[in-house]
Amino acid sequence: MSEVKYLTEFYHLPEFKGIEGYKKNGGYVELGKALKMQPQEIIDVVKASGLRGRGGAGFPTGMKWGFLPKNGEERYLLCNADEGEPGTFKDRMMMERAPHQLIEGMIISGFAIGSKKSYIYVRGEYDESINSLLAAIQEAYKAGYLGKNILGSGFDHDMDVYRGAGAYICGEETGMISSLEGLKGQPKLKPPFPAVQGYLKKPTIVNNVETLAAVKYIIRDGAEGYRKYGTEKSAGSKLFSLSGNVNKPGNYEVPLGYPLKDMINVLGGGIKNGKKLKAVIPGGSSAPVLTAEEAMKATLDYENLAAAGTMLGSGAIIVIDDSKCMVECLANLTHFYHHESCGQCTPCREGTGWVDKIVHSILSGKGRLQDIELLVKVADNMKGRTICALSDAAALPIISFVTKFRDEFEYFVKEGKSKVKGTAYKGHAYAATASH
Amino acid sequence: MQQQPLINCTINGVALQVKAGTTIIEAMYENSQKIAHYCWHPGLSIAGVCRLCMVEIEGNPRLQIACNTVVTEGMKVNNTSEKVKDAAKWGLDFHLINHPLDCPICDQAGECGLQEQYMEFGKYNSEMAEKKQKKHKVVDLGPTVVLDSERCILCSRCVRFTDEVSKTHELGIFNRGDHAEIGTHAGKPLDNKYSLNTVDICPVGALTSKDFRFRQRVWFLKDQETVCNGCSTGCNVKVYFNKEGVFRVKPKRNDAINGHWMCDEGRDIYKFVNKEHRMIKGHKLANGVWNTELHAGAAAKDAALSLQGVTGNDIALVVTGQHTVEELEAIVSTFVNTYKTKNVYHWWNSEATASEFDGILLRGDKNPNTKGLQQVFAKHGITTKFSDLDPSKVKHLVVVGPENVPVYKDFTAKLEFFAKASNLIYMTAAKVDSLVANKNLAVGGKTATIIPLKTFVEKAGTFVNHAGVSQTFKKVTTVVSEALTLVEAAALLAGQEIKVETLNPKNLLVAANERADKVTLDFRKKNEFIFQRGKL
Repeated sequence: MSEVKYLTEFYHLPEFKGIEGYKKNGGYVELGKALKMQPQEIIDVVKASGLRGRGGAGFPTGMKWGFLPKNGEERYLLCNADEGEPGTFKDRMMMERAPHQLIEGMIISGFAIGSKKSYIYVRGEYDESINSLLAAIQEAYKAGYLGKNILGSGFDHDMDVYRGAGAYICGEETGMISSLEGLKGQPKLKPPFPAVQGYLKKPTIVNNVETLAAVKYIIRDGAEGYRKYGTEKSAGSKLFSLSGNVNKPGNYEVPLGYPLKDMINVLGGGIKNGKKLKAVIPGGSSAPVLTAEEAMKATLDYENLAAAGTMLGSGAIIVIDDSKCMVECLANLTHFYHHESCGQCTPCREGTGWVDKIVHSILSGKGRLQDIELLVKVADNMKGRTICALSDAAALPIISFVTKFRDEFEYFVKEGKSKVKGTAYKGHAYAATASH
Repeated sequence: MQQQPLINCTINGVALQVKAGTTIIEAMYENSQKIAHYCWHPGLSIAGVCRLCMVEIEGNPRLQIACNTVVTEGMKVNNTSEKVKDAAKWGLDFHLINHPLDCPICDQAGECGLQEQYMEFGKYNSEMAEKKQKKHKVVDLGPTVVLDSERCILCSRCVRFTDEVSKTHELGIFNRGDHAEIGTHAGKPLDNKYSLNTVDICPVGALTSKDFRFRQRVWFLKDQETVCNGCSTGCNVKVYFNKEGVFRVKPKRNDAINGHWMCDEGRDIYKFVNKEHRMIKGHKLANGVWNTELHAGAAAKDAALSLQGVTGNDIALVVTGQHTVEELEAIVSTFVNTYKTKNVYHWWNSEATASEFDGILLRGDKNPNTKGLQQVFAKHGITTKFSDLDPSKVKHLVVVGPENVPVYKDFTAKLEFFAKASNLIYMTAAKVDSLVANKNLAVGGKTATIIPLKTFVEKAGTFVNHAGVSQTFKKVTTVVSEALTLVEAAALLAGQEIKVETLNPKNLLVAANERADKVTLDFRKKNEFIFQRGKL
């Protein structure tokens, strides 16, 4: 198996960004085709394709669409482009290089679910993506792909871009809905789920950029055609963002089921500076870490990574070589989740701060041996106890880091310095109590 | 309407039938089963954030929150398993790690949710060895409420209250993570007519009432249910008191009348109940000199003597809707039967505004029993108009004054008006210095008697509210043991002998401005900020 160019086929062409170049390379053909289909047909083919959400949770897209009430009630399609998961940068490339691909996928999806209005919620830092999308939406309106009576089908659809303000929690679908509504970006209690009561209390579907873009290709190739790549339970291709200590970091599109080993050694060009692989975080910072040994056996698909005790997540592969101290790596993560917890649910609000302080106290040489066990206990009790998954996302790396690299933590507590580096923590004297 | 089928479920081994759509926590709450919770409140929307109400549902490997899980047919729930207890213990610990644990100086101590749950699930030593979060202390949220952010557990009850009940939207949660704090927007303090409900629903000592804080430890207070006499809504309230007096009023749930809430105005009703605002002694004016040390019963007997043989148009009675149905019946029937007169007048301060309603609880009629008074009048066939009363033509005027004087805006003017009568008998629970100093009384050899009455907390009785709902309440406490109820006063005026209740004869000896333990009130005032709201 090797890298594929399915979604990214024309990404190397600068002209693919504009509507002319996009149309020259097969753009908006599937929109015309889809508008002649019955909406239910589209939902059925998406269901049959086995497409799963590419944002992180991997929920089957067709099934999600099927949760919408079967009435004519006003509904919304939201595109989640608040790519906040540390290590992930695939959506950014898609929006910058192929904004029309996303727009076309969204119009088709909007038609399938009967939504006349959609928003793309873009991460605030993504200036380039926002400009690219705004320009493309304008082009699409001019060309009659958006607005009233699209291509004479009688279907109306309006699209808008909403700029986020940089909160990680706004990438959680109900947090995003709150933010879009003008409220504080906090996840909402479920049930009711967004498909029943979402944006402005109307049925709402939230899908990731890559998911919505893929819909166009499912229409083009049909369910079977889409399943050409991937495995039975993980159909299609996926973009992975490879980063960390590899020679060639970047976005790579591979069929699901691709070996992680090849991702690092073949596509990524191996570990940088001739060092050895120590650990891999396979699905964004929230995914439990894999040891080098586990990583060599893993394949990049939902079921295999789940069996390995981790997850595919957003497809952000962070490679860690053997010169890195795992206590410091974990401190980076705990700091992030402490900073990003919305503060709504008590276990997450208090727990993220607590574990962050414990890890930093270990780093500063003040750790106690019982702190290592305490980290796991606290993380265990943060898991599954909150409205959204941020608390789990904060807890899972802690448990995996501490259990898989316990020796490094114990060494740090006993010796007051890093086992790998042989030195005390040289990072900035971060005080967990200080205001961020 | 079609009868909704009931849902069968088992909670902690007890088979229950609940209405469709009931959540587990509601089912448990309604069936008096204990479940820990902070953010859930039966009068507010569901937040689902405190994560304390974890329950185990058979067939579900993950614990669920009881507040947002609807009971389904055949559901088997428990919150007593070790798994649930451990989850609750951890849930509590997350609440406590950054909590200052300043119980000894916290007003909520004794009625604090954290303390209660700690005794239930906790009793452990905290494993938290790190520094606690620092947050703002003594935040002045508005004229009535003070916030201590470090004590706050961010359950968001107060925020939801201002959003959903008072609809004034003053409060919000600012910042995120463990820096999150409750606060108000610039220039928009927490200032609404229901603001103190936020203090009631605060499960911890984060929100404290400027009126009550630092005044009493709650374990030194007893409480008794009664009916608020602040307006014609008739909210059900709990009055908190001890032998020093009444200290605060809180709402008691009654879905038909006031739900879970009461207004801030109603919380002030205790103030005129306490000794410093009360008429303690009987007063008698004769030959231009006031005797101010008369026993209440003696004053009433003197008054009865001055009325001996008076009937018909020589005498009139003025009453307000501030007394119970039983009392009004007693005094009115005394006049109708003993004094053979129907010159009974209804002094109604807020007749013009009586139909006003703010849509929540507050009503324009500031008397709790106007309807009851009207019923008594109707029973005795009294159809007088207050505007027809002319005290200068009536020789003997008996006035039963209001106990909630602040809501009688023209009170002093009315007193001067009544003082035109040549013999004024004024019965009151409230202290009325202006009557003793009244210049109309000092002229022309007039006589006057003041008879101290008991307030609504010192007697049992019935109020009929604006909607005609008759609510009977019990006696709460005795503040001025010598004062008479209107029933007793009516009996004395009718020339009957009564046995005046003296609970503790020693109390009678305590001067009005002293407490039983001889600490003077002036000293007390320095340590409290009860007298002027809004100033710390």
